[in-house]
Amino acid sequence: MSKTSGKAAFGTSALAAALLASVMALSPATARAQVLEAAVDASPAGLDPHLITAFTSFQIVNGTIYEGLTTIDKDLRIVPGLAQGWTIAPDGKTYTFKLVPGATFHDGSPVEAADVVASINRVLSKDIASPLASRLAAVDKATATDASTVTIAMKEASAPFLTALASIAIVPRVFETNKDGLQRQPVGTGPFRFKEWQPNGFIELSKHAGYWNKAQPKLDGIKFNIIPESATRQVGLSSGQYAMLPNIDAATALQLRGRPGVKLAETMELAYTLVGMNTSKAPFDNPKVREALNYALNRGEIVQAALFGAGVPGGPLSPALKDWAVNTSSFPCFTPSAAKAQDLLKEAGVTTPVAVTLLVLPRQDIRDIAQVVQAQLNKAGFKAELRIPELGQFVQDWRNSNFDAFVSTNAGSVDPDDYFFRTFRTGGSTNVFKYSNPAVDALLDSARVDLNQAGRKAAYDRVQSLLACDGPAAFMTYGQLFTASRQNVNGFDIIANRSLMSLANTTLAR
Amino acid sequence: MSATVQTAPVRRSVSGLVTVSALAVVILCLLALLAPLIAPYDPLAQSVLARLKGPSAAHWLGTDQFGRDLLSRILHGMRASLGIAAGAVGVALLVGGTLGLVAAYYRGWTERIVMRLMDVIFAFPVMLLAIGIIAMLGPGSGPTAIAIAVVYTPIFARLLRGPALVITNSDYVAGAKAIGASDARIIFSHVLPNLASVILVQTSLLLSAAILVEASLSFLGLGTQPPTPSLGMMLSEGRNVLLLSPWAAVFSGIAILIIAFALNLLGDVLRDALDPRLK
Amino acid sequence: MRFLRTRLFDLVLVMIGVSILTFLMIRLIPGDAVAIMLGANTEVTADRVAELRGRLGLDQPIWVQYLSWIGGVLGGDLGVSIWTRRPVLDEIIGHVWPTLQLTVLALAIGAGLAVPLGVLMARLRGRGWDVGLQIGSVMGLTIPSFWLGIMLILALTVLAPEWQVLGYVPFSQDPVGNIQRLILPAFALALPILANLARLVRSAMLDALQQDYIRSARARGASETSILFKHALRNALIPFVTSVGIMTGYLLGGAIVVEQVFAIPGLGRLILGAIAERNYPLVQATILVVTFTFVMVNFAVDLLYALIDPRVRT
Repeated sequence: MSKTSGKAAFGTSALAAALLASVMALSPATARAQVLEAAVDASPAGLDPHLITAFTSFQIVNGTIYEGLTTIDKDLRIVPGLAQGWTIAPDGKTYTFKLVPGATFHDGSPVEAADVVASINRVLSKDIASPLASRLAAVDKATATDASTVTIAMKEASAPFLTALASIAIVPRVFETNKDGLQRQPVGTGPFRFKEWQPNGFIELSKHAGYWNKAQPKLDGIKFNIIPESATRQVGLSSGQYAMLPNIDAATALQLRGRPGVKLAETMELAYTLVGMNTSKAPFDNPKVREALNYALNRGEIVQAALFGAGVPGGPLSPALKDWAVNTSSFPCFTPSAAKAQDLLKEAGVTTPVAVTLLVLPRQDIRDIAQVVQAQLNKAGFKAELRIPELGQFVQDWRNSNFDAFVSTNAGSVDPDDYFFRTFRTGGSTNVFKYSNPAVDALLDSARVDLNQAGRKAAYDRVQSLLACDGPAAFMTYGQLFTASRQNVNGFDIIANRSLMSLANTTLAR
Repeated sequence: MSATVQTAPVRRSVSGLVTVSALAVVILCLLALLAPLIAPYDPLAQSVLARLKGPSAAHWLGTDQFGRDLLSRILHGMRASLGIAAGAVGVALLVGGTLGLVAAYYRGWTERIVMRLMDVIFAFPVMLLAIGIIAMLGPGSGPTAIAIAVVYTPIFARLLRGPALVITNSDYVAGAKAIGASDARIIFSHVLPNLASVILVQTSLLLSAAILVEASLSFLGLGTQPPTPSLGMMLSEGRNVLLLSPWAAVFSGIAILIIAFALNLLGDVLRDALDPRLK
Repeated sequence: MRFLRTRLFDLVLVMIGVSILTFLMIRLIPGDAVAIMLGANTEVTADRVAELRGRLGLDQPIWVQYLSWIGGVLGGDLGVSIWTRRPVLDEIIGHVWPTLQLTVLALAIGAGLAVPLGVLMARLRGRGWDVGLQIGSVMGLTIPSFWLGIMLILALTVLAPEWQVLGYVPFSQDPVGNIQRLILPAFALALPILANLARLVRSAMLDALQQDYIRSARARGASETSILFKHALRNALIPFVTSVGIMTGYLLGGAIVVEQVFAIPGLGRLILGAIAERNYPLVQATILVVTFTFVMVNFAVDLLYALIDPRVRT
């Protein structure tokens, strides 16, 4: 199998951009610099795209300052990024990428194949210790064929590879062995360049004049103000001091709905909430107890109480992934029944009420959900206690599987392999449940190297049904994700993976 | 008119305030203590259909975002907040007071070491040290109480050392020593009773401050953790839905204000009433 | 001189104690920098964790860590931030101005208004006003500052939506915008100080008015105004100055909460963020610097007090 893709899609977006540009040209010339004032809740720890792990950092840099060879568009499909197109060898073991012409880094140097190779090597380097390394685990070697062509040889075929590449930012080759240089002074290829960072104050980006897509960006800059208090952010948007609150939760969005001058965009999130169970110790080592917990949960009620109705019950994959997700109506345990839960506990032979401690991620929406979960479990034969530690402690306990069960959120991913494999396969790097199911392992292993969409779909359908009711995680809800902005903000598309790349297309009307 | 002229109505109004504030404190404490008996609902019982409702006949103060009864939660919250404050201030009084008395009584190196140790703790701004201690112990009502206790310990040590010094040096303690009374006996039967009024005043003022520290820590997400209601935690939860339904934030805020106010006023008027110079 | 020497000696002792406590407080926190540094969604081998721990010096005995840290501090090197690899000193300097400005402004508001208010309260003692003012001042003491902050912000959106109140701009860039943004948080922070100091002024004034020299001044036929301002107020200023030192501590602590509400990038935000991400060098240095400032302010107040009141020099 050999295919060339992307050119067509690229053509359409270029056309759309050109159209928009002409519309822009008709509007009166803008006298003042157009800087979008956005407000976000947390200060990023750093801005190195290969080292950061937090959403709060990702959303600020990915798609704005940095780009990968591929991009995930607003429908979660893979489209060309810095690579204008690519070919894949029939055995899936060689990829050839053609770089987009005219791309430059923010420091003015041209983007060449050697930079791409250096970036991939940087992510894979033990010394840099990038958390993204596992996404490139299948890569054998990247080589620059000529200045604008990169060839990547794979150890084995990898179905999720193109998706993974979207998250691998291309940085100048001089940073290949420089571990600290990008944390404070990011240099990328994206539509916006880094301008100033006042820690805990703001991060300001300005227009990258040499951006390869000449129609973008439309703004002169973006200022991400760091505002920890939700009430303060809301007031700032209502008063017009801020023009956008990107990626906010339902509680915040509902309070802004209907305010004069404010509009809301929404989409289904990729991230989901879950109760994760430790399958290596009692009581959740018993599948029947896990199933009982699933029956005890009333997901509809959780959506109502904790997400203010803005969300849906969901299974192992987000309903936003229309190509992959299995409808939850096929999972019997998604019909809540406290009685059935009690019966299952009886069958499991455990003494009721089953005392469990829930480790809770210290984030407001998760705290809310945990309180509802606790009330529901206590009505169905459990005696649940909440433990809400400080974030660092949570991460450590979570990582060390130091819990009976935990309530948290998982980012999910565009390609099922990415997160299924590391989360549910035996020995997976974030398989903190210590779950081991040979049937699941076999399916995941085969789907990973299967380049046939129908075959993969069948395997992942099976995985979903294996995980749904007595798997290590009780999948609960997928929330609506919102972005609130002033009425005069146009051209912004909210994307389920929280990317803010459409800021490149955003304009501010007078 | 001279400010030194004391008219009868003034003293009556001050002693009236003592009665009023003392009565208010007693009533609030009773409400908190009896919360499990008098609360109309289980403070943890959720009812999704009845969430974020304003005051009504069924729910006098309305409901929160999980449909929990706010009146019941505030009563239980007062219990938790007062419990934390009382526990913390009690421990601080016991430990700090003992250290202060010991320092004053023995003087010399004992005094120096004890007071320098107190100085070290006292050198930290209150919130900063409390946050540090909670960071160490993890958030929760226990660590909050411990943090507040540690922070207030030097206050009692310093408070009691000064007057205790004066009393220890006084003739009648010297007399007691002369007739062979033991150290402990002198401290407990001669020194301590003379400090009762100072202790009473400071305790009620610090109780009031502790309620506020608990609220601040909860606001930062470090204090009492859900689902157990404390007033600070309720206020902190309520602020997230302030514009959807202000009731949780408003009523828990008012409850904090009333308790802190009553305790502070009590300490304040007690100080005036007990201060011999102002009589 | 002997007094000064003893005080200086004590000061050094306290600072050593503070540094040990600060150091221990962070190291005794359950959880470790490496685990948190690597975040929730990473794949790490035990090798890498160990290597990172070595790089951060966390594999050495705790007293060695302390000595090398305090040695650096004395040499002017506060360490390097774990994440950004920037000198901690730079991070602190980057955050110190908003907090300094906020506390000074709050102190100015609190102290500035407290004197007239306290005098008024003392003056009005014995009238119906007295009880009202006393209740009012207790009210000021017991309103949580974060609550007041949120209420002020909300009120302002309704009353003056055009007023930009959030965030911070340096004074050098935009003096008007700077004051405009700081005045509300400073007020929220100052209210308890104002109430406290006003009460202090009031009782010190009343106290002073009982003294013999006031009586004799009065007997000599000095006017009430002269007695009030010349004699009584001057006497009241001694405890006033003393407690301003203590107030600084409340302000530095209170600023943590108020900065959070008003989104001011000061030391409070720096500390909360650094604790959450276990940035050891940053947390230690910031707490040390803030506490050192507080200690020095109190030391200065102590000296001032001793200067005014010779009885203290024992």
